Amino acid sequence: PQELPKVAELGTTSAPLKSAAFFIGSHCKEYNEDFMLCKAENRDPGHCLKEGRRVTRCATELITKMRENCLAQFEAHWGCLEQNNQQYYRCRAEERPLNSCVFEKLGLTKVIPGTPQGQKQINEIGSPVLARQQK
Amino acid sequence: MPIPWEALIPSGLMITMFGVTGFLANLSFRAQNQGKPPRYHLERWDEIMIARDYRLTGHNRGQTSDPVIPSATDSK
Repeated sequence: PQELPKVAELGTTSAPLKSAAFFIGSHCKEYNEDFMLCKAENRDPGHCLKEGRRVTRCATELITKMRENCLAQFEAHWGCLEQNNQQYYRCRAEERPLNSCVFEKLGLTKVIPGTPQGQKQINEIGSPVLARQQK
Repeated sequence: MPIPWEALIPSGLMITMFGVTGFLANLSFRAQNQGKPPRYHLERWDEIMIARDYRLTGHNRGQTSDPVIPSATDSK
């Protein structure tokens, strides 16, 4: 409809999105939570358009920033995910430089919400149980 | 003592045949998936994302990291 503001949809496909997922989660937390709470009230597709536009804009902004600052590591990581059935545990070697680049340039860390207190996050363990043959 | 090379011909044949089958199967899977290994253990989420990839790039395994869709600029 013409009266709604126009927001360009996110053009990223599944692998780069999965690579950037935790960063989108920490950067866009408030907008994502607003949208989810709004949708929890009413699952009608036309209901949460404003919050949805905010989510899209935030994610688009983050992807643009990541591409400007960390393009090589980002592309390497999602290229690796594509070769490996999009499983994170098989791409730790590419994930480490990406995480350090994003931390330096954009200040975002990958926080895994369900980790028990006192345990290192899965992506930081030196010798995980489930791993590739080559680290 | 001379080695019985005639007896090893069937073994060699079997190994070659299995090898060729495996090679061609791998080639065919990779050709269908744009040079990448096929995806497995797909859940509903993965199927939806793959359908979305198809709409964005025209192929189930096509990937792009553009922030916006260049042609369409409609809101939801």
